[in-house]
Amino acid sequence: MSTIGIVVLAVALAATAAAAWWQRTRNGAVRAVPDDDEEAGMAGSAAFERLGVRPADADLTVVQFSTAFCGPCRATKARLAQLQTTRPGLAVVQVDAESHLDEVRELDVRRTPTLFYLDRSGALVGRSSGAPRPDELTALVDAHAGVSG
Amino acid sequence: MTAPSPHVDVRAPRFAAGLTSVVLAVALLTAGGWLVAAQALVFAVGALAGLRFSPYGLLFRTLVAPRLGPVREREPEAPPRFAQLVGLLFTVVGAAGYLLGAPALGAVATGLALVAALLNAATGFCLGCELYLTARRALPARTA
Repeated sequence: MSTIGIVVLAVALAATAAAAWWQRTRNGAVRAVPDDDEEAGMAGSAAFERLGVRPADADLTVVQFSTAFCGPCRATKARLAQLQTTRPGLAVVQVDAESHLDEVRELDVRRTPTLFYLDRSGALVGRSSGAPRPDELTALVDAHAGVSG
Repeated sequence: MTAPSPHVDVRAPRFAAGLTSVVLAVALLTAGGWLVAAQALVFAVGALAGLRFSPYGLLFRTLVAPRLGPVREREPEAPPRFAQLVGLLFTVVGAAGYLLGAPALGAVATGLALVAALLNAATGFCLGCELYLTARRALPARTA
């Protein structure tokens, strides 16, 4: 038995357990974007404009960054497409991250899928990294682009 | 990337990740450099030739899949195949560390590969796939 091997194995098991817990609880959670970060907000809107995002055309515009090596991107894309069929106020823009690396850097996208949520005024109401949980995604969409009475 | 990528049974990469975890855990306990090298070879076949030719995939199709019932879901091959390449990088460093007289380096690199494999086996989460963009954006811009 290798002592260093046993130590590394124990650390690896603990790290995996921590990562699995994080993945279960935090992955894909929608984070609010702080209002006071005005400079980043301005740079962001220029990047979105170059990507062809037109927030004024819909109640809520979701911008999804994906890569070819991303399994969860597919499922998220399908879920957004499904939500669109019943929520006409929702617009979705799909971005291939690899062919838009300048925007990826400007918006500080590190993982895929990363989603940005923009309201009709173009304000960023949130962002999420990793596949969002279906119920949270649906709730967010309904809060901004739900069928209103 | 324009050609449609082949699809694989989603359970196959999970099974392979589980088997990989066992192999790497045994390698850590025994400081088995050759075992890490063997795992690197398995990764190399999967990454370079495709998952169809991966020894673990073959094992899954012939021994495991017939006992599990029909395929319920398939996924594109590209993400799990990219994960094989990430695994290959870590296990090559791990095997080199063990076999060239740097056992601490060997153990740490093998441990990192183990975390990625075990996480994939336990939750289906592909660490290398999600962080691919982090690596890609560090390289010079080549905006199409």
